[in-house]
Amino acid sequence: MSAEKKEYLLVDENGQGKPDKPWIFRTYAGHTNAKASNELYRKNLSKGQTGLSIAFDLPTQCGYSSDHEVSRPEIGKVGVPINSLEDFRILFDQIPIEEMNTSMTINGTSMWLLSLYVALAEERGVPLEKLNGTTQNDLIKEYLARGTYIYPPKDSMKIIVDMYEYCLHNIPKWNPSNICSYHLQEAGATPVQELSFALATAIAVLDAIRERNCFTAEEFEQCVGRISFFVNAGIRFVEEMCKMRAFTEMWEEITKERYGVKTAKYRVFRYGVQVNSLGLTEEQPENNAWRILIESLGVTLSRNARCRALQLPAWNEALSLPRPWDQQWSLRLQQVLAYETDLLEYPDIFEGSKVIESKVKALKEEAKLEIQKIIDMGGALVAIENGYMKSQLVKSQTERLSKINSNELVIVGKNKWTDGIKSPLMTDSDGGIFKVDPKSAEQTLGVLAEVKGRRNAEVAKKSLEELKQAAKDGKNLMPYSIACAKALVTTGEWADALREIYGEYNPPTGVDGQKLFLSDDKVSTVRGKVEAFTKARGHRPKIVVGKPGLDGHSNGAEMIAVSAKHSGFDVIYSGIRLSPEEIVQSAVEENANVIGLSILSGSHKEIAKQLFDELAHYKANIPVVIGGIIPESDFEELKKMGIREIFTPKDYDLMSIMNKIIDIISVEPVLV
Amino acid sequence: MPKSLTDSTETFSQLVSEALLGEKFPIAKIISKIETENNLGFRESLFKEIQSQKPNVKEGLTIGITGTPGAGKSSLLGELCRLFLSFAPDKKMAIVAIDPSSNVSGGSILGDRTRVTLPRRDTRIYFRSQPSQLELGGLNPYTYHVLRFLRKIFDYVFIETVGIGQNEISVSLVSDISFLVMQPLGGDQVQFMKSGIMEVPEAFIINKCDEESLANSSYYMLQSTLEFIKDILPDQSLPPIFKTSVVKKKGIEDLLSYILNYPTRKDKNVETKTQLMSWIRSEYGRFGIKIWEDLESNSWNQAVRLNPLGGIQKLNYEEEETKFVSLIQKKLLP
Repeated sequence: MSAEKKEYLLVDENGQGKPDKPWIFRTYAGHTNAKASNELYRKNLSKGQTGLSIAFDLPTQCGYSSDHEVSRPEIGKVGVPINSLEDFRILFDQIPIEEMNTSMTINGTSMWLLSLYVALAEERGVPLEKLNGTTQNDLIKEYLARGTYIYPPKDSMKIIVDMYEYCLHNIPKWNPSNICSYHLQEAGATPVQELSFALATAIAVLDAIRERNCFTAEEFEQCVGRISFFVNAGIRFVEEMCKMRAFTEMWEEITKERYGVKTAKYRVFRYGVQVNSLGLTEEQPENNAWRILIESLGVTLSRNARCRALQLPAWNEALSLPRPWDQQWSLRLQQVLAYETDLLEYPDIFEGSKVIESKVKALKEEAKLEIQKIIDMGGALVAIENGYMKSQLVKSQTERLSKINSNELVIVGKNKWTDGIKSPLMTDSDGGIFKVDPKSAEQTLGVLAEVKGRRNAEVAKKSLEELKQAAKDGKNLMPYSIACAKALVTTGEWADALREIYGEYNPPTGVDGQKLFLSDDKVSTVRGKVEAFTKARGHRPKIVVGKPGLDGHSNGAEMIAVSAKHSGFDVIYSGIRLSPEEIVQSAVEENANVIGLSILSGSHKEIAKQLFDELAHYKANIPVVIGGIIPESDFEELKKMGIREIFTPKDYDLMSIMNKIIDIISVEPVLV
Repeated sequence: MPKSLTDSTETFSQLVSEALLGEKFPIAKIISKIETENNLGFRESLFKEIQSQKPNVKEGLTIGITGTPGAGKSSLLGELCRLFLSFAPDKKMAIVAIDPSSNVSGGSILGDRTRVTLPRRDTRIYFRSQPSQLELGGLNPYTYHVLRFLRKIFDYVFIETVGIGQNEISVSLVSDISFLVMQPLGGDQVQFMKSGIMEVPEAFIINKCDEESLANSSYYMLQSTLEFIKDILPDQSLPPIFKTSVVKKKGIEDLLSYILNYPTRKDKNVETKTQLMSWIRSEYGRFGIKIWEDLESNSWNQAVRLNPLGGIQKLNYEEEETKFVSLIQKKLLP
């Protein structure tokens, strides 16, 4: 055999062709209850999935047990409910956790979930060194974009550092946190914002660890090596690939220059990806399949910026939760890409490209300026508390929406080529979408009640007291949390104990002073109607924009608040996680002309019911409109309850929405 | 009577009596009507109805809270509300929070409710937002009348305005006590403090005193500046200064008990006159003010005596406003 070296092939040390190993294939999954999710995981693993990515329901993420009153409408909706160790026993039944790479998408309660995982391992006799996986634990993105935070920024950061300290000494293969810029892009972040906010977050975490001074220099290097990232890949895939290359280079520079990391392998930018859901459309949803494929290319094409793990949304995610078949289809796409194509056989195919190099350079320069700005401000925590990062994201999002509204940004099937034949994928008897059986919550509540009855109440109480005392004393909370897990403490009890010590955080909404960049005929039509209303009634129309329940995806609510102001409304918007009671109280006290609800978690029916009950209590007949991911099959029921208008992701034209709202309230009888 | 205000089954007097009992939706509906343009007739019948239903109705204390954006006023109010619920179990309070309106669309985002969370269906605290409607002075044109109405129902009525400097002085004209809320001070702020606004508030709050030494240095800096002002106005006693921290939950109990025990109210007649003047100025400009001044001068008194309407009594706001309007009309069409 000739040993001629082929530049274009990847080879092993003997010169034999040896393609790269594929990335880890995951599907972000979990729903209904622990038992149903366990069955789903085992099926997915048997289909060739190589890692677990657990989705938790909103009460679990926000630190409430399923039997708390705010949990009721949300149990099992967007993920699996976990109340105590018993649920983990059911969830991982017949799954060898020592062989898994388990990713847990959880932030505010990540320490608690890791404690449950550790308790489960110890119970099974699995040595902790064998546990492999990640708790997301990026609180900064929670304050900015996702909204499932609990405690104030400084206390949350303390919990993260506790986990680093514990994991490095006890579960060395675990990634205690994972800097997540995914939701930043979902909230409208530009590539530069994604780069700079994520890296500023990583700097904040590492600075906090360095400040605690709990590691030797060598351990600190290992700790830097454990930082991983979770990134979003959007549709502009060349730019997205450049963003990933910029990430890699900038992380190398930051770890070397700022933290003096000498070992090369600890400076590697390790990241997983879920591709963008923001750009998926409810209109012509089959087009989403192509979008998902193209978005995957940005993070797999070039070897120097290839992700470690990938999870793809399903084509119908803008409609509802995906069915098992839809998830299988997404998994197959990854398998086709990795095993049928030649993608993994080549070295970096973009090395030396002038276009790529200069684009990467430009992104890096802009991101560096932004990072410096945040550092000068006092770091990521300060930029959260003073509202800077949030207002920047709301600004980007309003710009993006303004561009879609003015057709400057083309979205196929949404604002261009909108006529088409209806997709045959949607004609199945289930309408092409998945709904959680409302009765399934009973099983979860049954397990919870049974556990509370069975456990040793004294031991549970004592372990919670010790956790609180440790929090007061500033001790590392991991061992105390594991003790709570073993004592069958519940998620709500663990979170409440720390709420008592740290309090609950209420961040800036970011909508103050925001402007839309719209000034077309539609805007003047709406403003004309608003002026007519104002003249007839003697005051401006007033809207209460409400974001009820535990769903923290506030982009929709923020955009409606900004557009309503742009139209000339007086807007009451008080941020996320309000109870229907609080929203009604605002609307009543302010004598609002309309209440606009935004709900994306699928709990619209339950929440609308609570809201109308509360309006009845005040004898207030205020019109209510609702926006969110709401399947058409629920429309009739909602209208019967009294909902006046329903907006879904296909109603992207902000001024058409405002036009409908002003029409509704203009024909209301004049009470004032 | 303005029947349109109520549902068909409800009379105006029912609505007012429900409002006086503290029912939130009736209160809210009445405030919206007060906030409506050309509402003189409504106000007349409203206050007459209140007077006839409850001749000895209460006059709550009005507390103005003003200061620069970012001084933490709404968080402070949120914490005050929380403490109020346990400290004053038999009292009720209302808050009117004013936010700026957009110059372009006229719309506004009113976000101050965020900081105040209440127990479910509680009627002891009422919160109302108001857009500034581009008025200078930090107050909305109807704020004064809304406060007058709320004072009849609540023991304490807070009014929060955002702004910097002289513009916010007007809040002190409609409140019994007014507080200027500041952040811990830097050296350059001393100049700002000497610029006149410091003479207006009855009390000062240095908020965000999360850190002891910075809080103390700010306290002494402010105190010495106020002493400097005192030298100019020797009869005036030094206004109190509160150091508060919402994060550390410090100083807020003291502030609340100062408010709850505040002894004196301002003369409501002076307040009525001040508001009337400001209304005349915005409605009739210098022409109106001149007529007012003539009215108050001797030469006019002579003429007024001959006028069947009589002189200005500075007692009932609506009556005075009506009288003034007819005087203006007389002047314009003699």
